[in-house]
Amino acid sequence: MKIQIPIGPQHPALKEPISLRMTVDGEVITDADLRLGYNHRGLEKLAEEKTWIQNIYLTERICGICSHSHATCFVQGVEKLMEIEAPKRGLYIRFLVAELERVHSHLLWLGVAGHEAGFDSFFMYTWRDREVVMDLLEMISGNRVHYAINTLGGVRRDVDDALKGKILGSLDLLRERSRYYLMIGANEPSFTGRLANVGYLSKKDAIDLCAVGPTARASGVAQDVRKDDPYGVYGEVPFEVCTADSCDVLGRTVVRVKELLQSYNIIEFLLRNLPPGPVAVRAPRKAKPGEVVSRYEAPRGENIHYIKSNGTDKPERLKVRAPTLANYAATIKMLKNGFIADIPLIFAAIDPCICCAERTVEVVDARSGEGRVLRFSDLRRAAAARQKNVSRKGDAEWPF
Amino acid sequence: MKDSEIIERIQGLLGGRVLAITNPSERRIFMTVAPRDLPDAARALRDGLGFAYLATISGVDMGPVFELLYHFANAHTCLSVRTEVPRSDPRVPSVTPVIPGAILYEREIQDMFGIVVEGLSDPRPLILPDDWPPENYPLRKDWKFTRPEERIPGGSS
Repeated sequence: MKIQIPIGPQHPALKEPISLRMTVDGEVITDADLRLGYNHRGLEKLAEEKTWIQNIYLTERICGICSHSHATCFVQGVEKLMEIEAPKRGLYIRFLVAELERVHSHLLWLGVAGHEAGFDSFFMYTWRDREVVMDLLEMISGNRVHYAINTLGGVRRDVDDALKGKILGSLDLLRERSRYYLMIGANEPSFTGRLANVGYLSKKDAIDLCAVGPTARASGVAQDVRKDDPYGVYGEVPFEVCTADSCDVLGRTVVRVKELLQSYNIIEFLLRNLPPGPVAVRAPRKAKPGEVVSRYEAPRGENIHYIKSNGTDKPERLKVRAPTLANYAATIKMLKNGFIADIPLIFAAIDPCICCAERTVEVVDARSGEGRVLRFSDLRRAAAARQKNVSRKGDAEWPF
Repeated sequence: MKDSEIIERIQGLLGGRVLAITNPSERRIFMTVAPRDLPDAARALRDGLGFAYLATISGVDMGPVFELLYHFANAHTCLSVRTEVPRSDPRVPSVTPVIPGAILYEREIQDMFGIVVEGLSDPRPLILPDDWPPENYPLRKDWKFTRPEERIPGGSS
C-alpha cells in the first residue's frame, strides 16, 4: 500500500503556508508534490496601484525576516529608472543594515536547524546572540523587523560615532560566538551525525533546478550575486563566497556559519570606511518609461525584481521572485528517497520552516489507484480491527 | 567576459533568430526572440555560454500582446530573453526540457496570465485556489479585484 501524507499547509510558526504531499513507501519518501498559494497576497497587482514611494513600504512587507532585502532590491532598481544615485554614505548605511540583516537571519536559521535536529540548547544560544543584532538594528533604524531605512535616493537615518562604536563592540562578541558555533558544527558528533547525508542535492541537480543561495553554495555552486553582479558597495568590499561540497544539510549549516564570519568582516569594513557627507538625495516623483532588472543577494539567495515604468508615478509592472520559490524545485529533489523523519530538517534547510502533518492521511490503493482521505483516528481504528483478527499476534506471548 | 563579447557570441550562436539585442546598462542584456525559438535559444545559451540558471519569468500585459521575459544569469551577466505572444492565442513552448527548474515559473505564468505553456509535464494550477473561477487571470490589466460578498456560514444574513 502506497500512502500519501499531506504536510502543511497550516502551522502557527510557519512563515509561508505551503502544502506538501508525500507519497511514502514505509519510511521512505518516493514522491513529493507541492501546492502553493495559501498566502498569496496579490502583491504584484497591488504594486501597480501604489506610487514609487508607497511601494518601498509594500515590498518591505513581502518577507518578515529579509524585509530589507526586498526593499533594497526595489529601491536600487527604481533609482536606476529615475537616474539618481544615492550618496556614498547612504549606500554604506544601506548595506550595513543589509549585512546585519543577513547576520540575524542566519543566526535565526541556525537556531531552527538546531531545534529540528533535537539540539535545543544550540537553538537557545543562537537566538540569544541574535538579540544583540536585533538591538543594533533597532538602534540604527528604530525598528526590529521592518527597518524602513531605505528611501529613493538613499537612507532615512544617519549613523553617529557613538552608535558606530557600539556596533564595532558588539561585533567582537558575535565573532567569538560564531567561531564557537563553527567549532560545534565541526566537532559535535551527534549534531553532525544528524545533519550529514540528509537532503542530498548533487551539484548537477542544483544547477539544473536553478537553486539559489546557501542551498546552491552547499552543493559546490559558487554563485553569489554580490560577487557575480556587484551592486551597491559590493564592488569595493573585500569578502569571499563561502561554499561546501558535502551537498547535504550539514554543508548548508557550514556555509551559513562561514557567511556569518564574512558578514562581520563586511560590517567592520563598512563602518571603518564610512565616508562623510549626506545620506540621501531628493528623488523625483515620476520615473521615465523604461525597465530594469534588479538583483540582490538576500540571506536565502538571489532576489530578483523586474520593474517596468510607464512615465507616471506608479509602476507599470513589478515582478518579484523571492529566493524560497527558486529553491522549491530543489527541495522536492532533496526529499525524494529521504525518510519521513527528515522532512522538517530538509525543508528547514532551505530556510522556510514547515514541519507539520495535518491530521488526515490519504490512502491510495496501489492496485486500483483510488485514493481516500482518512483521519488518523480512523486509521488507528482500522489498525486495531486488523490486529484483533490476526490470530498469531493475538496469541503471541511477551518473550520475557 | 565583457557584455559586448557575450552579445557577439549570442549572435554567433543564434544568428537570425535574435530579433533585437540591447545592452542598456552594465551586466544587463535584453534580447528578443520569437516564441517558437525559445527552447532552442535556451539550449544554445545554456550549452554555449553557461546560462544554465533561469532566475525567473516575468510576464507583462502590453494590451494586444503579452510580453514574457526569461531572466537568465551566469557568472558574468544577466540576460533577459524577451518574447511576445498574442493575446488572442497565448501559447508558448515550455523550456523545462532544457531547464528543469523553470517548471514553477511556467506554472505561475499559466495561472496569472492564462498563457498556455505547451509541453509542460505538470500543468496543474500552482498558486490560485482550487475553486478559482475559470478565465480569471489576475495579472492581466483588464482584471480588477472585486471583494466577494461576505457570507457567514449558518448566519441569517
